[in-house]
Order: sequence, then C-alpha cells, then structure tokens
Amino acid sequence: MVDPGGGAVCNGTLHNQSDHCHRKNCTRNGMVKEAQQNGNSNFYKPVVESFEEAPLHVMVFTYLGYGIGTLFGYLRDFLRNWGIEKCNAAIEREEQKDFVPLYQSFENFYTRNLYMRIRDNWNRPICSAPGALFDVMERVSDDYNWTFRFTGRIIKDVINMGSYNFLGLAAKYDESMKTVKDALETYGLGVGSTRHEMGTLDKHKELEDLVAKFLNVEAAMVFGMGFATNSMNIPALVGKGCLILSDELNHASLVLGARLSGATIRIFKHNNMQSLEKLLRDAVIYGQPRTRRAWKKILILVEGIYSMEGSIVRLPQIVALKKKYKAYLYVDEAHSIGSLGPTGRGVMEFFAMDPRDIDVFMGTFTKSFGASGGYIAGRKDLVDYLRAHSHSAAYATSMSPPIAEQIIRAMKLIMGLDGTTQGLQRVQQLAENTRYFRQRLSEMGFIIYGNEESPVVPLLLYMPAKVAAFARHLLKRKIGVVVVGFPATPLAEARARFCVSAAHTREMLDAVLEALDEMGDLLHVKYSRNRKSARPELYDETSFELED
Amino acid sequence: MATVAEQWVLVEMVQALYEAPAYHLILEGILILWIIRLLFSKTYKLQERSDLTVKEKEELIEEWQPEPLVPPVSKDHPALNYNIVSGPPSHNIVVNGKECINFASFNFLGLLDNPRLKAAALASLKKYGVGTCGPRGFYGTFDVHLDLEDRLAKFMKTEEAIIYSYGFATIASAIPAYSKRGDIVFVDKAACFAIQKGLQASRSDIKLFNHNDMDDLQRLLKEQEIEDQKNPRKARVTRRFIVVEGLYMNTGTICPLPELVKLKYRYKARIFLEESLSFGVLGEHGRGVTEHFGIDVRKKEEECAGFLVGSVEHLEKHQM
Repeated sequence: MVDPGGGAVCNGTLHNQSDHCHRKNCTRNGMVKEAQQNGNSNFYKPVVESFEEAPLHVMVFTYLGYGIGTLFGYLRDFLRNWGIEKCNAAIEREEQKDFVPLYQSFENFYTRNLYMRIRDNWNRPICSAPGALFDVMERVSDDYNWTFRFTGRIIKDVINMGSYNFLGLAAKYDESMKTVKDALETYGLGVGSTRHEMGTLDKHKELEDLVAKFLNVEAAMVFGMGFATNSMNIPALVGKGCLILSDELNHASLVLGARLSGATIRIFKHNNMQSLEKLLRDAVIYGQPRTRRAWKKILILVEGIYSMEGSIVRLPQIVALKKKYKAYLYVDEAHSIGSLGPTGRGVMEFFAMDPRDIDVFMGTFTKSFGASGGYIAGRKDLVDYLRAHSHSAAYATSMSPPIAEQIIRAMKLIMGLDGTTQGLQRVQQLAENTRYFRQRLSEMGFIIYGNEESPVVPLLLYMPAKVAAFARHLLKRKIGVVVVGFPATPLAEARARFCVSAAHTREMLDAVLEALDEMGDLLHVKYSRNRKSARPELYDETSFELED
Repeated sequence: MATVAEQWVLVEMVQALYEAPAYHLILEGILILWIIRLLFSKTYKLQERSDLTVKEKEELIEEWQPEPLVPPVSKDHPALNYNIVSGPPSHNIVVNGKECINFASFNFLGLLDNPRLKAAALASLKKYGVGTCGPRGFYGTFDVHLDLEDRLAKFMKTEEAIIYSYGFATIASAIPAYSKRGDIVFVDKAACFAIQKGLQASRSDIKLFNHNDMDDLQRLLKEQEIEDQKNPRKARVTRRFIVVEGLYMNTGTICPLPELVKLKYRYKARIFLEESLSFGVLGEHGRGVTEHFGIDVRKKEEECAGFLVGSVEHLEKHQM
C-alpha cells in the first residue's frame, strides 16, 4: 500500500523515502531525487497553512491601545492648533497661505499621531550590501522622531532578517561578479531609450531566452521595474468588457494594473476556492451586470507567495477551476521564483504542474536574484503581443545592461549552467532553513501565519507598542527585523516579518531564535494555544495509568 | 319567543355567543379566516419561474467560449523585428551589425559612457552589490540614496528631494499621491504617457487645455472660478493642480513658465513640472526650465523623471 505522501507501508511500519536523502545532496542526472518521484510532490500533500486567531484579551487590548493613542492624538492636535504646543510638521509657505491646503488634516491623523511615535523602525539606512550580515547606520532623534540625525557610528554585522534575499545572491563584489563588471565597462550604465526604439540590446535577447529556458516556457520578455511590469501589462491584456477576479490580499501593483485596465474587478476571499468558484459560476452564467452580455475574457490574478501572510496559492485547485470555466490565469511570482520548488523554479515546480496550464507567468528579479526588474513569460503568441502592445515597451526605458548581466549570472548559477551545484545547494539550504526556523518558532509558542514551506515568516505581535519595542530591542541585540503595521496589514494584526535566506547559517538562525525567545518572554507575545506541554518529561510516556 | 321581527339586542347576542356549542364557534372562526385569506391572496402567475435549473446552468457553462487571451499579431509588426543594438548606446552605435551615428537615444550630455561615472558605478558595485533587495521602508535605504537626495535638493535649491527607481513610475505615482478624487487637474493636451497614466490612477477631474496655449488655460481657470463661487464650501476643499512638462516629449517645445506662475498665483493652483527631458539640458547650470526662465524654484513643486524636489511639507507625506 502506497500512500501519496511518498512513503510505503510494509508490515505496519512506514518507510518514508524522503528521510534517506534529507540532508545529503541526493542527485541523479543533475535533478534532485525528490523532484523525480511522482507521488512525493506537493500536488497531493495536504496544505498545511495556519492563521491562528489570537485570544480575545489580546484583541481587546490592541483596540484599547489604538483608542488611547487616538484620544491623545486629538488632545495633541488641539494643543497644536491653539499654539500651546510647537508644531513640528511642515507648514505652507507665506505666499501660498491662502491656497487650498495640500493635505486635509484628518488624512494625516494616523501619520502625525500614531506613526510618528514609532517611525524610527522604518527607513533605517544601511551602508553595506544587504547580505546575511549588514551594517546599519545609527541615528537618534532629539524631538521624538520628527527629525533624525546620524551619530556617525555604524552598527556593524547586524543579522539581516528583513531583506528579500532568499538565495543569498545580494552580496559584496566577489570574483564571480566579474561578468557584471565587464558588462558595465562595455555597455555603460544605461540604455537611453525604449524597447521599441533603440533600447533592445543583445543582452536583453540573451536574458529573455534564458528566462524562457529557466521557466520551461516558450518565450519571455523582461522589463525595467517589477512594480511597473504589473501595472503596465495588465491593461494591455484586458480592457473594458472583461472580468478580473483578484485575490483579497493582492499586491498594490496588481491592484493598480487592474484598475488602470478598465475591466470589472471582483474580489474573492484569500485562497478560498469556494468563493472563487462561486464568482466564476456567476460570471459565466449571468454575464455582465445589467446588459447580461457574455464576458469577453475572465482573468484570475493570484500571487505565488503572499508577502504579508506567507501563504502559498492553491495552484492545483485554481488550475482545475480555470480549466472547467475556461478562464485565464495570471500568477505573480515575485516572492516565489527562485525560492520555492526543488530546483527553485517557483510555484509551478513546487506543485509539479505543467507550465502550459498557467497562461501568464510574471515575476520580479528583485527578490531572489539580487537585481531589479520584472519579466512576463508564457506562450510565444502572448509574448509577441506584449512586445508589440505593452505600454512599457513603447514608453519606458529598458533594463540597464549590468543588471541584465547580473540576472543572467544568477540564473545560470541556479540552473547549474556555470558548472557547479552551488545554485541547487542554495535552494536546498533555503528550504532547510525555512523548515527549521518555522518549526522552532511554532514550538516556542508564537503565532506564525502561512504555509509551512514558505520562506516568508510573519510573526504576529498585534499591539502597536509591542511592535516598536520588538524592533528596537532586537536592533540593540544586532538583529535587523522588519515590522509592519496598519495600513499594510489589518488594523489589529501588526506583525514582524522575517525573510529566511539561504545565506543564513545555522548559528545565525540559532542566535536569532534565542533572541526571539527572550523577546517573547519579555513582551509576552507567545500567544499560541498550540504550545508544547510544560512538562517535557511526559513526552515519552505511553500510558498514563497510575503504577500500582 | 317574539312573534314580531326579533330585535337585535347586543346583550342577547353576546349571551348567545356564550351559550353556543364549542364546535360551532370554531367552525365559524375558521370560515371567517378562510374568507379573509381568499380576499387578500394574489392571483395566479402565468409566466414561468425565472430561476435557472442546474442543468441549464451547466449547459451555459459548457457553451461559453471566451475570446483568446491575446489577439494574433501579424508577423511583420515592427515591434517584433526590432533593431538589436550591440555595444554601448553612445554617440556611435552599432545597430543590427551596422555602425551608425546615434540620433535616437536620450543621451543629451553624453554621460552614458563617461569614464568617471563608470568608475563611480564600479566602486558602488564593489561595495554594495547590484540590488537593494527591499523597498525603502525595509532596509532598502542606503547611505548613497540619502546622499543623492541631499545633493539633488542643494543643486535644485529646494528643501528636500526624494528619488525613485524608475522614471516612468515617478510621475505616475506622484500625481495620485497628491491629487485625489474630487480634485481638479489642468493638463496640457500633449502630456506624455506617464502623466496620462498618473492622472488615470488618481481619479481626479481632468481638464485639458491646448498645447502651450495660455489663453485656453486661463479660460478654463476662469470657468472653474465661476463654478467655485457658486459653491464656496466645496471650493475650499478642492485642490487645483496644473501639470506641465518642461520640455515636451511629444512635441519638443518648452512650456511658458513665467505666464504659468502668474496664473498660478492669480487662480491659486499648484504647479507640477515634469522635467525628464529638460533637467540637465536647459538653463545655465542645467537646473532645468526654471533656471532657463530665471524663476525661483521655491515658487512651485517640481517633478523630474526619477526624483521629486520641493518643500519639506510636501515630501513628508510622500515618504510614507
């Protein structure tokens, strides 16, 4: 009897094939053994994603905290208005006093009164490459975060848990970056022109062929900026009379692209297949609102890994739905390319699916490849159409040559075309680090969101004051973390978001985990109800009968 | 028993009600309720029910055919057979294997292959690597970014500056940051594509005036003033913007800045000046169209491809 998890049961004991090659580089013909097994892929594995809710008292205190902050905000605004307190915000110039004010004072209420208090946790300047360790410039504020000044000291060797450096390719110059240096010297700094004019270099052509080969699709096209890739190409694909079904938690670039296209947008609940199916059925059966004409096309917009939740899209179910209702699928793999899948090919390989099932692959090079820019890949007719009609190709400058060279180098490394297995090792190291980090954090009792295989780990903190204390204390211990609050997340769910990287060694992760353990006890953020028992000596007990 | 017509005396009737047997009263009650129901019930509907059956729904789903995701593009479309440039896009450029003089790239000051710039870029490559791996808020701010912003602000003689990573995105995200739904924007008809996208994303009211025609703009502003007087409360919260380019990408002409500044103070609108082409080109030191006309920069906000300069107040909000 074989169960789909890849193990075989023989005489009552489970032999799991994955255990043997867990830590070693078990490759055959260059491909990891795991990728060759049909039954061991994530297609069949049940999805383990958790979005645990916090205990009630935590939510009450969170809202209470915001309420008190708001009251004090009103008080301070009152004092500032009447001149009792000095107003540190910038004011309009004299000649323009009677112009309509640029911001309504209410729009800025949150910024002025709540965000300003903890503003020192964001926009922290660094002065080295954003690798696994980096240097943060120290800055202090004399007037409660309204202005900052640099003390001149640099905090060296801070462990970087915030940058999107999944494969550890963002590092200082070393000999392997020689090709980038050559490209810089040969081609110069930029291309002063758009793709349709003089902006297509032979480097771009080389890069596009390589991307197509990497993703196992027919063709690809690259653009200069990741955000702009979405916002300028979705309008080229859909227009008025089409329907866009987009996930609740899609990134701002997808939302902007959808809005600019002029199509009707409907939102389905995050990763919820029943909600999506209901919307699809209603769309196909009832057509456009009011006129009841049929929709021209239906496009489903999803992301590979959602950056604030750490959840992975349910790709097999979405592809099944898309085939049944004849819709088109657009997957934004900004975070998942290079970091998911046995060889780093992204969410498609993670679920071992056919690349022909997904219509539009989109991704960015900023996160795993250590460069900048975006790509769109898919069938040849799609890419040809985008070459001709994309707004970016016609109006925006193309990618600059040294960056293209960096991406070529990074991709060759991951694919193994440079003759080493370093790329594959990095991908496997990332997967190991992710599993270890997530497992230890949930053992400690923190509430962690997201899929257990995703390298983006959000740790929930809920209360705004704890968010600030968390980030500041950890910086003192030389660990740099990213905390996110409203408006990027819902009001009551502020969190700290860790990005595990292949460049993190086990020692670094242990140091971080130890610090987090202490922080958790200090700030009382270990809210999870799934903590391990406080009596570890009872783990191996087989029966709880009293011995007589 | 009376022999004449019985008198309907209330008391006797009530007495009779009490004395009647129970089944009689119940039957009478049911009959009365039935009559009331019949009086108030609706007539029969003769048309069919409008809900679809499950079978019909399945049939509809099967029959529906969407358009193909992309319409076919002809093989001779110029974009598919584009010119491939090998080598740096400097003054002599190698296109499709042939060496030509370059009149096509935006390389006004010839800095694309300047050795000093390349040396500086190489130094930064050695120190920082290639990418920033994160947005500005999450450890993506480098000391070189802050340095560049300081220098830009000093160069343009304004208080502060912000830089962006992509030229197209600068103006396309700056406009929606300041101008929201309900605000009014006066735009030149020959504005470039990035400005158009920014305006579309901002959902404000857009009023177009003829290219470089100040009389047309004044006419529109006067009309707006008349509208404002009708509804002063609304006018007090509607912001007004004028968006122009320093050097227009579509026509190559320069905007008449002195007249614009006069109009600005008269009608109380704010100017957004997009200087992607005129920065480094116009003016004695390359400060752009403001230096060209000798106007104090502090008199307006200014946008350029890649960075924003202006007074502190405006940029604070932007940084968030």
